[in-house]
Amino acid sequence: MRKLLAATLGILSAVGGFVDIGDLVAAGQAGARFGMGHTWVLLLGVVAICAYAEMAGRIAAVTGRAVFDLVRERLGARMALLNLVASYLVTVITLAAELGGVALALRLATGVPYLLWVPVAGIAVWLVLWRMRFPVMERVFGLAGLALVVFAVALFWLPTDWAALGRGAVTPGDSGQGWGAYWFVAVALFASTVSPYEVFFFSSGGVEERWSATDLADARFGVLVGFPIGGFLALSLIATATVVLRPAGLSVDGLDQVAQPVVLAFGSAGLAVAALAFFAVTFGAALETGLSAAYAAAQYFGWQWGKRVSPHEAARFHTVLLVSVLLGVLILLTTVDPVTLTEYMLIISAVALPLIYLPILVVANDRTYLGDRVNGRALNLLGAVLLLVILAASIVAVPLAIGTRMGQ
Amino acid sequence: MRIQISQELLDRQLVDRDGRLIGKVDDVEFALDADGVPYLRSLLSGPGALGQRVGGRLGRMLVLTAERFVTDRPMAPLRIPYALVERVDSAVWLRVRADELPTSPVEQWLRRHVIDRIPGAHRASG
Repeated sequence: MRKLLAATLGILSAVGGFVDIGDLVAAGQAGARFGMGHTWVLLLGVVAICAYAEMAGRIAAVTGRAVFDLVRERLGARMALLNLVASYLVTVITLAAELGGVALALRLATGVPYLLWVPVAGIAVWLVLWRMRFPVMERVFGLAGLALVVFAVALFWLPTDWAALGRGAVTPGDSGQGWGAYWFVAVALFASTVSPYEVFFFSSGGVEERWSATDLADARFGVLVGFPIGGFLALSLIATATVVLRPAGLSVDGLDQVAQPVVLAFGSAGLAVAALAFFAVTFGAALETGLSAAYAAAQYFGWQWGKRVSPHEAARFHTVLLVSVLLGVLILLTTVDPVTLTEYMLIISAVALPLIYLPILVVANDRTYLGDRVNGRALNLLGAVLLLVILAASIVAVPLAIGTRMGQ
Repeated sequence: MRIQISQELLDRQLVDRDGRLIGKVDDVEFALDADGVPYLRSLLSGPGALGQRVGGRLGRMLVLTAERFVTDRPMAPLRIPYALVERVDSAVWLRVRADELPTSPVEQWLRRHVIDRIPGAHRASG
């Protein structure tokens, strides 16, 4: 019974860590513009995040060290500092996008203008980071995020042509929008699935909860079940957008459109559930990105970090946390459109992906750290192939963004 | 004990007796003993030492940022005599407790001027 509970909690954390504003926007846009044509991208992303989160979790459990700690040891002080600067910027922009998502969800639920919610979201996120017990909030937001299942339910409620959906998934096409735009959306969707902060967060959480080699099986189980569930929820977002938004020719420029299919199926009750789910996943992701930004800095410089010690004892860590949330709020207060910000965030995340994923693969093969718990041959082959995909996405991201004018 | 400094010491996490994180091994310092044989005297930790090793504009920016928080410049790094090292694995474990070593001046400044002014700064949230 206890084991079952622990497993469920691990799954909830993984689900909460998977879906965020990037997935909501990218999945909605993919479905509305290209139907089910990006299903394979999502599947590939889920396989990649599972493989690399498993490695990061194993490294954390065996060595007691989190990802960025090892990035510095592997890359050296200078390269790792450049990596830190890039990762920090990407993570803070992601944090801003997530805060924007929280504010959009609150607007959806209340009708009160979005910009008024931005400072409220920032203060709420910071307060939770300052005071709440972390495992508790992670699970609460993971559980509430499962409300996204309402999209899968809506699919059964609406007169869905399942055969057409299936055909769309196996025969991707550019839907007359051009292959440039197709690949642009593919890169954005892939980046939203394997966002770098997920592995920072996952491995730091493992260190903070003092995983040991005996917790490895539980951690692996949480990843291998939780991330695919998150992937399933993202897939149901693509599917509902395909069924409802695409025939109507609607594009996604806010969360209202993403919620549209559920509203069509269940009316205002559906809207309430969707708004709750959007709020939970973006708020949870805002907490995780805020922490990840501070984890990366603290682990590079060797500062005391984490929520087991009082903020007084980890003053540099908590200052970075505070500054990051402030920066996120300031970015949004420039009145940048949160959905546009999310699109840019996904493209720069795609560019930065190899900075994080390459060192993980290297350390996961290092016997001086892991002894006989290094990667097996099959996982290495998979990891190497996925790294090539990640590199390809990173290289084409900016040319695609410029060439298609952000997917126009 | 035979140890490869660049592989096994530099950039590793320094941890005190109780598991508190002290900093990174940002640099090392050698000295000559009575017979003129060089030995590893101490581990250095702090933005001053790190900035010099990083070098270039990036390293200088790092040092300048850290120096904004202290009054006595240039910033002296934390010097840990190598004799205080208990063992080296994925981290460098010390024999002493964190409060027996001087606290980082940047940490002190931020405690005094930022974090301690916020209610609840002395409670861990777990």
